[in-house]
Amino acid sequence: MEPVAIVGIDCRFPGAPDTGAYWDLMMRGADGVGEVPRQRWDAKEFHSEAGEEGHSNTTQGGFIADPDAFDDEFFTISPREAAAMDPQQRLLLQSAWRAVEDAGIAPRNLAGTSTGVFVGIMGNEWAQLHLTDYANVTAQLGSGNGYCMTANRISYHLDLKGPSLAVDTACSSSLVAAHLAVNALLSEECDHAIVGGVNVALTPALSIFYTQAGLSAPDGRCKPFSAEADGIGRGEGVGVIVLRRLRDAIADGQRVYAVIRGIAVNQDGRSNGLTAPNRWAQQDVLGAAYRRAGVEPSDVVFTEAHGTGTGLGDMMEVKALGHHHADRGGKPMALGSVKGNLGHTEGAAGIAGLIKVALSLHHRVVPASRFAAKENKQLKLRDHGLRLLKAPLRLPAGPTVAGLSSFGMGGTNAHAVLESAPGHAARPEPVNGAAPGGVGAAVFTLTAPNAEALRRNLLAQADAAAARRVPLGPLARSSNRVKAGHRHRFATAATDTGELVARLRESAAAPELLDRLSGRPAGRPRVAFLFTGQGSQYPRMTAGLYEQSPLYRHFLDEADAALLPHTGRSVRDLVLADDAAVHSTRWTQPALFAVGYALGRTLMALGAHPGMLLGHSVGEFAAAVLARALPLDGAARLVAARGALMQELPPGGGMLSVKASREDVRQWTEQEPLVGLGAVNGPASTVLSGDLEALERIGAKLAAEGLTTRELQVSHAFHSPLMRPVLDRFAKIAAEVGGGVPEIPVYSTVRGRVLDGEALDASYWVEHISATVLFGDAAAALLAEGPTHLVEIGPRPVLSGMVRRLDQPAAGAGPAHVLPVHGPESAGPALAEALAELYRGGVEPDWDAVYAPEDRVAHPLPPYSFSTEHRYWARNPVRAPGTAAVATAPAPAAHPEPGTGPASVLTLDRPGGPADPVADAVLGAVRLVGGYTDIGPHDRLYEDLGFDSVMIMELKNRLEARLAGIGTLTVQDLLPRLSSVGDLVAFLRELGATVTGPVNFGTEENRALMEEERTA
Amino acid sequence: MTTATTRTTPTSYLASVGTALPGDPVDNATLSKVLGINEEWIEVFIGTRTRYFARDLGTGVVRWSLADLCAQAAERALAAPGVDPSEIEFIVLGTATPDTLMPATVNHVADQLGLDQIPTFQLQSGCAGAVQAFGVAQSMIASGQYRTGLVIGGDVCSKHLDLQRDVSGAAPGDLVNYVLFGDGAGAAVLTDEPRGQGVALRHVLNRFTGLGRAPGQVIEWFGLADRYDDRQALIEDYKAIEESVPVMAVEILWEMLGELDWEADQLDYLLPPQLSGRMTRRITEELDVPTATDISCVADTGNNGNALPFLQIEKLLERMSGGERALAVAVESSKWIKAGFALEKM
Repeated sequence: MEPVAIVGIDCRFPGAPDTGAYWDLMMRGADGVGEVPRQRWDAKEFHSEAGEEGHSNTTQGGFIADPDAFDDEFFTISPREAAAMDPQQRLLLQSAWRAVEDAGIAPRNLAGTSTGVFVGIMGNEWAQLHLTDYANVTAQLGSGNGYCMTANRISYHLDLKGPSLAVDTACSSSLVAAHLAVNALLSEECDHAIVGGVNVALTPALSIFYTQAGLSAPDGRCKPFSAEADGIGRGEGVGVIVLRRLRDAIADGQRVYAVIRGIAVNQDGRSNGLTAPNRWAQQDVLGAAYRRAGVEPSDVVFTEAHGTGTGLGDMMEVKALGHHHADRGGKPMALGSVKGNLGHTEGAAGIAGLIKVALSLHHRVVPASRFAAKENKQLKLRDHGLRLLKAPLRLPAGPTVAGLSSFGMGGTNAHAVLESAPGHAARPEPVNGAAPGGVGAAVFTLTAPNAEALRRNLLAQADAAAARRVPLGPLARSSNRVKAGHRHRFATAATDTGELVARLRESAAAPELLDRLSGRPAGRPRVAFLFTGQGSQYPRMTAGLYEQSPLYRHFLDEADAALLPHTGRSVRDLVLADDAAVHSTRWTQPALFAVGYALGRTLMALGAHPGMLLGHSVGEFAAAVLARALPLDGAARLVAARGALMQELPPGGGMLSVKASREDVRQWTEQEPLVGLGAVNGPASTVLSGDLEALERIGAKLAAEGLTTRELQVSHAFHSPLMRPVLDRFAKIAAEVGGGVPEIPVYSTVRGRVLDGEALDASYWVEHISATVLFGDAAAALLAEGPTHLVEIGPRPVLSGMVRRLDQPAAGAGPAHVLPVHGPESAGPALAEALAELYRGGVEPDWDAVYAPEDRVAHPLPPYSFSTEHRYWARNPVRAPGTAAVATAPAPAAHPEPGTGPASVLTLDRPGGPADPVADAVLGAVRLVGGYTDIGPHDRLYEDLGFDSVMIMELKNRLEARLAGIGTLTVQDLLPRLSSVGDLVAFLRELGATVTGPVNFGTEENRALMEEERTA
Repeated sequence: MTTATTRTTPTSYLASVGTALPGDPVDNATLSKVLGINEEWIEVFIGTRTRYFARDLGTGVVRWSLADLCAQAAERALAAPGVDPSEIEFIVLGTATPDTLMPATVNHVADQLGLDQIPTFQLQSGCAGAVQAFGVAQSMIASGQYRTGLVIGGDVCSKHLDLQRDVSGAAPGDLVNYVLFGDGAGAAVLTDEPRGQGVALRHVLNRFTGLGRAPGQVIEWFGLADRYDDRQALIEDYKAIEESVPVMAVEILWEMLGELDWEADQLDYLLPPQLSGRMTRRITEELDVPTATDISCVADTGNNGNALPFLQIEKLLERMSGGERALAVAVESSKWIKAGFALEKM
């Protein structure tokens, strides 16, 4: 069969809260088994050493920690619904999210795809506990239970459209689920498959069953193939893997843990007992899997056995394996079972084994099998071509084949053949290696639904990055790709991993820093590029960026190549050299053009696409190229000619900056024919340009009036009457170059407004030379259009300050100023920080352009760290019938630490606030339906509170019961007004709602119901 | 499936190399300012222009451990094209200046790299340690039991850079220790098939030749019982070194050429011993292989011990093309160890 790749893994098993811990547990040969937690059932009450009727012979088992913790807010599931959900659903949902992230995929990117979900599960104890309490069966309990919902919930919350189903074949359930998933991938029913297995023990029923059937180990531990094997110990767990066809995984550059080469399922039919293990069926399923994989049994280096540690089960399994391996040459096949560490995790046993084999092939070592040292000699393993994994087995380089068995109590058997990932897939090739990229620093990003989640996850990432040497580029690129999609966006630039770790920890610790480095973009960003003009140049401008950023280098080289035929000397070399010639206008103009073009194109390549452009004077040429009004070559020719012609003008011209309005200076310019209004940069910022002597005269008069003036360091009187001699010659060249209508709105500093279908053609550029630079007007017009970000494109910030001094046309915070180049010291980190700021503001960068090709490889990051603050569990632990109901249970739905409840939720009805009975009644009803304790008018019913149609029906009924004057509400009336709680209140007020009962209706009732419903 | 049993003693190939130098280069002007040593004296008599220190010159704070530098270099070697970190089957580290006597620094390096369940070796040696590490790795691969390994060399000499000491009146022999040395690390991935850089490791020479001879260099270590002893931590017999190292280097060159059956004029590159800028120039002249390009780094990196061969290899690989040959010579003057290796690009 076509190989299928395991590309993502997440799991929780006894003593192992995550995948890394699971591996450590196995490598240390550690024991995950312990006492039955009080939360589940009172083990002593059900214990009888002799295994009397209705009792278990053990008080031990493998239990996972914190099975009650669930991050309902993350999935916008209401507390009431969360409390009604089988914990197996909750655990799978979180684990599925993490497994998808581990596959290097932002889970939101799977939305709408045909991704399949296949869950193996055999425990339904939550339903047995809750659906038999008929008086309290609610709508939420219906969807909170049932095997189907474990898979369907994942499909719902991740919006997956492929097959979604749960499988129960008892202990082989999750390997059978993997079998179905592999077949679905091979038949192209789906392109990604999420396979899960879960088992949470809520009642002692199976422990009693195992005892009564003579299968239960008194110490609660499976001891596979051991002389001490004396039965099964129960275990819990949840595991999820993500599967893809190997060729797709390789094409997408995904990390591959291992490959499934063959997988088979069969049944033992009418064997000698419904529940008895059957050697013949087992050897058949092994043979079928080997055939499907196209391997000889002797190719298999090790096998993860079903290995429950029952005398009969172990014997049957060894004989079935022996049929294939007894006469193999070379070393006997290595054999072990993780059940020795965890117990039998029942519905999750198949996935536990599958993950173990995948991790073994990935780490190239197979953990020792616990209890193997005292081998059961009666099994005669050697004669069957087998040996127990008494110590970890280091796998040799090159491909390794492994097997995995999982057998169901009812006789449905499964076996899988896995192989180590092909060399090139274990370490993917760089993606899109040819495209230039790299800004000289990395941008680390992380998103979360709220600030607290952001903090928690920043720390998780910092810890992982600090734990061992990790390359920064691939790490940051993975953060961009995988940690995307939530409302709160964190972004920071970094140049090495240590610096990044420190920054992440600081951000998690300091709210003001976190605030600065994160954003909550409200709408689509509107980005404007502002190109600087003459005066912003200096020797070695952007040299640091050129050295560090291959992307910038690419575009500056491109501009240089376009200019070279017209300048005769490399403008790039002049810019990068410490050459004061950059201040002569012949070089200033093409140099600024090259820098502006290169920086603008760099930002566009990074995904920052401007919706508005504005260039101050000569800055308008680069803007015109970006707006596709001028071709690069044409603009290069124009700028070079413009600079050269102006250079030829005689000296004796200059410019004078005046802190006065254009009206105030007009009287002076009217008296001096050789002086004109060079620029109007703002209402009180004007530049006069013209003959130096005339300027001196004006300057003296202005000073006498008490006005501040400043002579600009320029070689000529730009934008003045002194420019007239160059116009004719420039016009000839401009006519040859031509020019079109900009495709991106250009705010012209010639016109002082946005160009309206006007071409940036020869007549425009001729007029541009002597026309006043109406920057203030153009910028004001641009600001009036409401840009969210003003990106200053130039070697140092000049225009941002001018814009800040303009009167803001509209009230509000105004646009963010983004400065990709701060000044002479600026290099890659400043550009990266500018991109980080744009991302925080809602821009979706083209992340691959940030990184050099060799950094574009998958790098695993720790998956999402969910909140454990909310806990939901059965009201009381299971008791034996007839025992007195003593309140020994831990407080249900208790927060682990009191007083650490979420603080971010606004409340309408704070004690002491103005009384509003209608709002109180509505809030009370919403709280009751959703099971929330703390909600406010800004909460959105669907997005924040997770309301669905069932909840809306209930809300309608509750509102009708509480409010008078609203007649009979129809759902159709209600639906358009449910955007937020506040909207609903407003709507009901419009209807003339009044409160029927006491004003505080709901508070007491609410609290009582809350307690009850949270525990469901 | 292929088995490794039929393989005949495979050649080892250098697939990639990575190096790590701590912080910014420290030039002679800075060093003379901090230590009060004459800048001109360093330039004329030592000939080393810059070096790198893991310890902050201003504060004396240790910024990088040897393990940090070695892991950094190894990470770079492992990130190179054609190399897969999961294939690493063993690590050999050569160093004279481990972070601690136990655990051996190589194990901290493995930990930082996320490598587990593999044999690790640490060779306690001075300038020949890296070559010895290559030798061990070559033997392991030649055994057919291993296919890919990581060879590392590094030293943190600034452990003996006593910033508190006033050296203004010190003798040249003592002063040399302050200006000669630097810190750094290098690493290479060795494979049993030509991959990545695809440079064959043709021959490795390691030989103790110091029977009955006083050491040319001694680095002491102190424990609880003798930590207050008034012994010099670092002793060098510069006269003996200046006299013997060039002679030994010439012998190594010719012995290696003989062993390889190569003519001197077939050598494209020569990697001479890296003592100091001045000494290396002198030895290169004595080796007298004018047709071979000299590949040296010590004048810019300082003498950072076991990192040097990797820094030279890194420079070599920038220019080496298919069919070209290089020969490296190293001498450890402590107990007079001859070392060398030969490379040929496929």
